[in-house]
Amino acid sequence: MAAVFDLNHHASYVHWHFFQMSVSNLLVIVAMIVVFAVAILAPFPGGKRKS
Amino acid sequence: MSAYDERSWTGRVRRRAVAALPPEKLLPDEQPAYVASWIYVFGVLSLASLAVLIGSGTILALKGPGWWHFTGAGHFFNSIHLWAVELFFFCMVVHLWGKYWMAAWRGGRARVWMTGAVVFLVAIPCALTGYVSQQNFDAQWISTQAKDAMNSAGIGAFFNLLNFGQMYSYHVFLLPLAVVALVVAHVLLVRRHGVVPPFRVSEDDS
Repeated sequence: MAAVFDLNHHASYVHWHFFQMSVSNLLVIVAMIVVFAVAILAPFPGGKRKS
Repeated sequence: MSAYDERSWTGRVRRRAVAALPPEKLLPDEQPAYVASWIYVFGVLSLASLAVLIGSGTILALKGPGWWHFTGAGHFFNSIHLWAVELFFFCMVVHLWGKYWMAAWRGGRARVWMTGAVVFLVAIPCALTGYVSQQNFDAQWISTQAKDAMNSAGIGAFFNLLNFGQMYSYHVFLLPLAVVALVVAHVLLVRRHGVVPPFRVSEDDS
């Protein structure tokens, strides 16, 4: 079965002055920030009833 | 309480344990209203990831490298182990950010914060020793690169990353033992001190 993502190539990197990071690592960090923001802002089911 | 309870070390330990963590604190059946937020979920998600991590790691350790490299089921559990560690760190980082911004060391919770921070630090070498324990060219490449880092830091005599036996022992026994012990201490301290309340936004807030 073919992989969903083709990994048979060199990793892509972002490079800006001293900052260098693989795109995959950068995506994980961005995902963590997004999840953090959603976790704070999204309403929790049943949360209103308890307060 | 009998006179024997007074003298025996088991009686003394039991009394101190129950005084520090009475059953209603150890296994509470309700939490404060402010805990009803998604940001409070990431601690237990980290615990769930750790459970999957240890379960899949135990199966990998029982079956060995020939199984995890060359069979379909081995690939499956190898992938479960990898994605569990990705989730473990992902959830742990979001949990850490949440607790940092709500200053979770308030109200006598310094040890709760410190055990959590140390778990994060110990989990990093626990994961990295897994990368050099894979028994493939990837592991050889990482270990030959990482040994230079150890040597340049002056600790290469203690940690030989080219020594599979040493790295595997660290990965499957010593460091997981430390992580689990610290996590148990962390959870018991959370039970003892309770979940940290949010900051008051005004003087009227209770």
